[in-house]
Amino acid sequence: MNPGSFFCGSADHGVNRRGFLSAAALGTAGTFAADMTQLDLLRHSAWADDVKKKEKRVILLWLAGGASQFETWDPKPGRPTGGPFRAIQTASSGVQISELMPKMAARMQTTAIIRSLNTKNGDHGGGSSLMETGRRKDPGIDYPDLGALCAKELGRIDSAVPDYVSLYSSTEGRRKGTSGFLGARYAPMFLSENMVPENVRRLETISDIDHQDRAALRDLLAKRFAQNRTSDVIGSHTNAYQRVRGLMASEKLFDIEQEPEAMRAKYGPTQFGQQCLIARRLVEAGVPFVKVARAWWDSHGQNFETHRELCADLDHSMAVLLDDLKDRGLLEHTLVLTFGEFGRTPQINPSLGRDHFASAWSASLSGCGVKGGACYGKTDPDGHTVAEGEASAGDLFATILTALGIDPHKEYTLGARPVPLSDFGSKPIKEVLA
Amino acid sequence: MRLKSQLPSHKAIVKNDQTSHCLPRPIPPTFERNERPPMRKTVRLTWLSLWLFATGVVSFTTISLAADLPSADAPIEQVIDQFINERLETEKVTPAPQADDLNLLRRLSLDLAGRIPTSAEAQAFAANTSPTKRVELVDRLLASPDFPLHQRNELDRLLLAHKPNDGEFRKYLLWATQQNRPWDAMFRDMLIGSEADENQKGALTFVKSRARELDDLTNDTASLFFGVNVSCAKCHDHPLAQDWKQDHFYGMTSFFSRTYLTKKNLLAEKQVGEVKFSTKKEGQKQAAFLFLTGATISEPMVERTKEQLKEFDEVVKKQTQEDNAPPPEKPSFSPREKLVEVALRAEDNRFFARNCVNRIWAQFFSRGIVDPVDQMHSANPPTHPELLDWLTRDLVAHNYDMKRLIRGIALSQTYSRSSEWTSGEQPSAAIYAVVKVKPLTPRQYALSLHMAAYNPTQWPAADQPDKWAQRREQLENTANGWSNMFEVPGEGFQVAIDEALLFTNNKRIEDEFLRDSGDRLVGYLKTLSDNSALIDAAFWSVNSRPPRDEERAALNDYLQKHSTDRLVAIRQIVWALLTSPELRVCF
Amino acid sequence: MTTSDPTKLKMTKEFGLPTIAFCVARVPNSGRLIFGSSDFKLYEFDALAEKPQPVAFNGEGHQSYVTGVVLCAPNIAVSGSYDGKLIWWDLEKREPIRTVSAHELWIRRLAVSPDGKTIASVSDDMQCKLWNAETGEMLRQFSDHKPMTPHDFPSMLYAVTFSPDGKFVATGDKVGHVAIWETNSGAKVATVEAPTLYTWDPRQRRHSIGGIRSLAFSPDSKLLAVGGTGQIGNIDHLEASARTEIFDWQAGQRVKEIVNDKFKGLVEHHVFDPSGQWIVSSGGDNGGFVSFHNVETGKTLHQDKAPMHVHQFALNEACDTLFAVGHHKIAIFEFKAEAAKPAEAAPATSTN
Repeated sequence: MNPGSFFCGSADHGVNRRGFLSAAALGTAGTFAADMTQLDLLRHSAWADDVKKKEKRVILLWLAGGASQFETWDPKPGRPTGGPFRAIQTASSGVQISELMPKMAARMQTTAIIRSLNTKNGDHGGGSSLMETGRRKDPGIDYPDLGALCAKELGRIDSAVPDYVSLYSSTEGRRKGTSGFLGARYAPMFLSENMVPENVRRLETISDIDHQDRAALRDLLAKRFAQNRTSDVIGSHTNAYQRVRGLMASEKLFDIEQEPEAMRAKYGPTQFGQQCLIARRLVEAGVPFVKVARAWWDSHGQNFETHRELCADLDHSMAVLLDDLKDRGLLEHTLVLTFGEFGRTPQINPSLGRDHFASAWSASLSGCGVKGGACYGKTDPDGHTVAEGEASAGDLFATILTALGIDPHKEYTLGARPVPLSDFGSKPIKEVLA
Repeated sequence: MRLKSQLPSHKAIVKNDQTSHCLPRPIPPTFERNERPPMRKTVRLTWLSLWLFATGVVSFTTISLAADLPSADAPIEQVIDQFINERLETEKVTPAPQADDLNLLRRLSLDLAGRIPTSAEAQAFAANTSPTKRVELVDRLLASPDFPLHQRNELDRLLLAHKPNDGEFRKYLLWATQQNRPWDAMFRDMLIGSEADENQKGALTFVKSRARELDDLTNDTASLFFGVNVSCAKCHDHPLAQDWKQDHFYGMTSFFSRTYLTKKNLLAEKQVGEVKFSTKKEGQKQAAFLFLTGATISEPMVERTKEQLKEFDEVVKKQTQEDNAPPPEKPSFSPREKLVEVALRAEDNRFFARNCVNRIWAQFFSRGIVDPVDQMHSANPPTHPELLDWLTRDLVAHNYDMKRLIRGIALSQTYSRSSEWTSGEQPSAAIYAVVKVKPLTPRQYALSLHMAAYNPTQWPAADQPDKWAQRREQLENTANGWSNMFEVPGEGFQVAIDEALLFTNNKRIEDEFLRDSGDRLVGYLKTLSDNSALIDAAFWSVNSRPPRDEERAALNDYLQKHSTDRLVAIRQIVWALLTSPELRVCF
Repeated sequence: MTTSDPTKLKMTKEFGLPTIAFCVARVPNSGRLIFGSSDFKLYEFDALAEKPQPVAFNGEGHQSYVTGVVLCAPNIAVSGSYDGKLIWWDLEKREPIRTVSAHELWIRRLAVSPDGKTIASVSDDMQCKLWNAETGEMLRQFSDHKPMTPHDFPSMLYAVTFSPDGKFVATGDKVGHVAIWETNSGAKVATVEAPTLYTWDPRQRRHSIGGIRSLAFSPDSKLLAVGGTGQIGNIDHLEASARTEIFDWQAGQRVKEIVNDKFKGLVEHHVFDPSGQWIVSSGGDNGGFVSFHNVETGKTLHQDKAPMHVHQFALNEACDTLFAVGHHKIAIFEFKAEAAKPAEAAPATSTN
C-alpha cells in the first residue's frame, strides 16, 4: 500500500487510518472495534496513549469582533489608556484582572492568561482566519481551523457524537469554521439560528423500525461492494452511515430542557450562557471540540458600555461553565479557551470606543493541561506593545495543542508538502502549561 | 491484516527553521530501496533529460527525439500499456484482470459522459457481442453531447476550483469543449482573450476572479498550466527543488503584477510597474520577466517623463473608480501576452505540454505520472518518465488535442483493469496494477442520482439522439442545484457525516429521489408485481447491472418481510441502493 | 432681556487637553471652569485668562474617571466618579474636604439643586441619592430603575437633573425609562418612557447601545427634555442622529421629537434658555456639535460642529456663551446678539 496518499506519516495517525481502512475493507460495523483490539495487542503503549488523549475536550469561547484586553485580562488602571474600570485581585496572587470579571477573578486558579499576543492582523477577516487556523493564509493551501485539527486529533473515528460543533448565533461576522484540506469529514456541525442540528431528526414519513431496517439493508449492499476494494472514500462512506444513528441520538444534547431547572438557572438567561450549557452537555457526551461564538465585541463606539454588558455575560457564563465542568470531573480533561480575532486599541476614541488592535492583546486558557493562575507575558505600562514574552498565533496554537497532549510539531503531508499542526517556528508557552 | 508495512515508522520531524515549511517531504519510494528495479539506459537518459530540462540546458525538441521512445505513430493506448506493463513486469506484479463489461461501461460513462449509463444502455452493452464494442462505446461517448458537458465540468472544477460558480466561464468552457478547442488556444483565451469576442470573454474569468490576489493569480497559473507550485519560492529559494528560486516566483508574479480589474469588471494592464522583492543574500531585487524555463523577456526601454507616469496613475485611478470610464487601452507592452508567448513557443513549451498530459492523466487515474501534479521538478520525478515524454510529444504533435489523449487513455488496458484486488496486499497505486476507486464529483453524483432514481422506461430511445441531447441539458441544470450539497473531493477526500445525515433524514431527498410518481423509479417499480423483475429493474437502474444472487435474495427477503406496505418497502430498497457506495464512486 | 442670538453661534476658542473631560461646572460670573477628567483628577481652568492652563486639584482624589461635578457654595465643589465616591473640595485650596463612599457602582452624573443645598448623584447601582451639600449626609435614595435590561444585561443609570424650582428630580436610565421625583419626599410623581433612545440588537450583534444621557427641565419646570441618540443599525458605532424628546411630563405626553438633521451621536447635555423658547444641546459621535432648536416647533435654529465630542457644557449668566468640555478639548462658543456686551461684563442673572 502506498502511504503517500495519506496526509500524515506519523505513527499514531497510521494507527487510526489503518484501522479505519481495514474496517472499510471488511465493511461491517463491528469489525472496527475488533480491528482496534488487534492494533492494541501489537502497539499497546501507543494505543493506550491514544485512548488517553482521546478523552481530551476543548470549548472555545470565541469572542467575535475582538474583546478588549483592557476590560478583561490585562487592565491598566490609572493609565491614560486604562479606561474607567479598576483592576481587581484574583485568586492567583499577583494577578489582577478587570473589575468587569469578578467571578473569573475568584476562579483564577483554573485559568492561565497570555497577555503578550502580537498577531499583527487587525482586520476582521484576516484576523479571524489567522486566529482560527493559527497561521497566515498561503496561496494554494486551505488550512483547517483549530476545531477541525482537534476533531481529527481527538475525535474517535466511529464516534456516536459529532467531532466538532460550532455555534454562532449572532449574524455579524458569522463564520462557520473550516476544515480546510482535512475535508468535510472534519467540518463543523454548524448551528446558528436555532439549536437543532440539521438532518438529525427522522422524518415522520418513515417509522423508526423501517428507518433501521433500510439502514441494515444498505449496510449489506455496501459491504458486498466494499469487498476487495481498498479505498478511503468507501471506508469513509461506510463510516459516515454507521455514525448516523448515533448522531441522531445526540440531538437531545442540544436541548437544555433536558437539564434540571436549577442547572439552567445557574447558567442564566442569556443566549451565550445557554450555549455554554449546551457546550458542557456536548463535551460531557464526548464531543471533542465545541466552539461557542459570542458576537459582537467590536466596540468602536462606547467601548466601556459594551464591555460592561458583554463582560458580565462572559464572566458569568464562563465561571459557571468552569464550575460545572469541575463538579463533573470534566475540567481536567477539558480545555476552555477565550480569544477572538484580536484585541482593542489602547487609544480611546472620541466615541469612547476602542478600535481594532492586534499588537498586544490577551487570551485565556482554563482547565486541561493548564497551569492555573499563571500569567504569561507583559505589555508596556499603557498596553501599546508587548514588553515581554511576545507570542504569535502559532505559539498560542502550539500551547493549546500541547495542553491537549498533541504534539504541535506533528506534520500532515499535503501533496509533497509537510504541514505541521501549529505553524513553523511556533513554540508552546511552557509557563502556562501544567 | 498486514500491519507490518502499514505502520510506517515515521517520527515527526521537528523543524523550526523558517525555510523548512516548503521542504517537500521526500516522495515515498514505490518500493523499498533494495527492491528498486535496476535503472535501464533509457531511464537514465530520461532522468538526465529531466535535469537538463529543469536547468534549461536542453529544450523539449531535443528530448522528443530520444531514440528509445516508441514510434510516434503507435496508438496511444498501446504505448500506455507498453510502459505500464514493463514496469509491472520489473516489479514482478501481476495486475488485476480486466474489469467486466458492465463495470467498464459504468466507468467509461462516468469518466466520459459524467453520469451513469441508463439501464437500456447497460443492457444493450451487455447484449452486444461485437468484438469492437468497447472502441465503439468510447467513440460514441466522445461524440455524444454528454462529453463536452462533462469535460466542461471537469475543467471548471480544475480551473476555478474554490471560486464561485461562474456562468460566463462555464459558458466559455462549454463552447470550447464542444469544438474540442486545443489546450494552447484555451490557455490563450483564458489569459489574454478578447473582451469583445462573445465566445472568449467568459474565459477571462480565470484571471478576473484572481485579479485582486496577485499571489493566487501567480501561483494558480503556474500550478494549473505549468504543473509548478511556485508559492514555496516566495520567501526564499526552494530548499530542495533546486529548480525554483525566488527569481522564479517573482518572475512569474511580474507577468501579472500590472493586471487589474476596472470598475466595470474589465481586465486591464498598467503601462508600467515593477515587482521588487527581498532576498536573503542580495537584499532588494527587481524581478525580471522570467519564465520557469529560465527564459527571460525584456521590456523595450521607454523613457517616461514624470508627467507621463502621473498620467498613467490617473488612468488607473479612473478605471478602477469610475463607472463610465472608456474601455481600458491596451498597453504598449503586455506582460501577460508575453507570458503566453513564451510559455507556448517550441523551445519553452515543455512545462505547458507536460502539465496538460499529466493533468488529464490524473483526471482518469486519480494520480499524475508526476504526482503531486503541481510538483514538477527534478526532485519529484515521474513514475513513468518515457511515457510522459511520449504522450507529451504526441500531444504537441497533434496540436494539443485533449480528446485524442483522452480516447487513448480510455482504450488502454491500464484504464480498464478491475478495481478489485484479491491477491494479498495491494501494490502501490503508482504502478497501476489495479484501478483506484474515485469519489464522484458533486456534479457526477447529482446527475447519477437523478438518473438512478428516474423511471428507466422513460429515457429517450437510443435512436433519438436529439431528444437525448435535450434531456441531458435538463439533467445538467437539475444537477446544478444539487451539486452544491456535496463536497468537491480534494486530496484524501472522505465522505462527511453531513452527507449521510442528509441522505438519511432530509425531506428533499425523499421528495426528489423516492417520489411515488410516474417519472420516478419508485413509481415504475410499483407497477411490477413480480419481486424478481422488480429487483432486476432496480439494480439495472441504479447499478447498471443485474443483482448478484445474494443481493437478489436480500432484497426479496426485504420485500417479503415488509409486504404489508409494498410501496414503503420499494422506497426503502431504492433508498438502500441509492445510498450504497456503489453509486458514490467511480470504480 | 436676553443678549443671546443662537444664529450668531461661533466657536471663539479651543484648547487642547491631554485627557478626556467628562463634566464641567463654572464659577459664577467668571470663566473659571472646574472639570473632571479621565486621569481621575479634577482641574480648574480659567477659560477667559490670557493663556489658560489646567491646574489640577491636590490631595487624595478619585480612583477613576470623574464624571460629575457641581458647585454648591461659593467655595465648594463636589465631584463624583466611577469609583463610587463623592468628594467635596475647597475651591481656593483645591484640596479635598470630605470623601463619601456614595455608591456601590460607577457614578455617572451629579446635579445640584438651584439653591445649592442638595446634590443628586446617579450610579449604575441604579440608585439616585440626594445629599446635604453642606454636611455630606445622605438625605434619601430612590430608584425606579431596573438593574437589568429586559435582555438580561446590567443596566445603567446615566442622567439626573433638578427642576429650576428645585421641587423635582428627574432620573433617566439606559433603556429609556425616566422617573420624576419630589425632592423633599422622594416620592415618585411621574414616569415617562423614551425607548427609542435605547437600541437592543437581538440578532446581528446581540448587545445594546444608547440610553438617556441628558435631562433638562424647562424654566417653568413643565417640560422635560430627554436626550440621547436614536435607533442604531450598526451598534458598533454611534451612527444614529442625535436625538432629544420633549415631554409634558405631568401629562405623560411626548410633545416634541427633535431628530438632529445634521449631526449624529449622543446628546450628552442640553439646557433650555431662560425664556424657554429654545434648547441648546451638545454631544457627538467621533465629532461633536452644538445645536439650537426651537422648543415649540422643534426646528433647528442654528447648529455647528464642535471640535470634539462634547461631554458637558456650562452656560454663562447671560446665556450667550457656552463652555464645552469633551474629548481632549475645551471649546468656547459665543452666540451673542449684535449689541451685547462681553460675557464677563454681563449682568449677573442666574440661569441655572
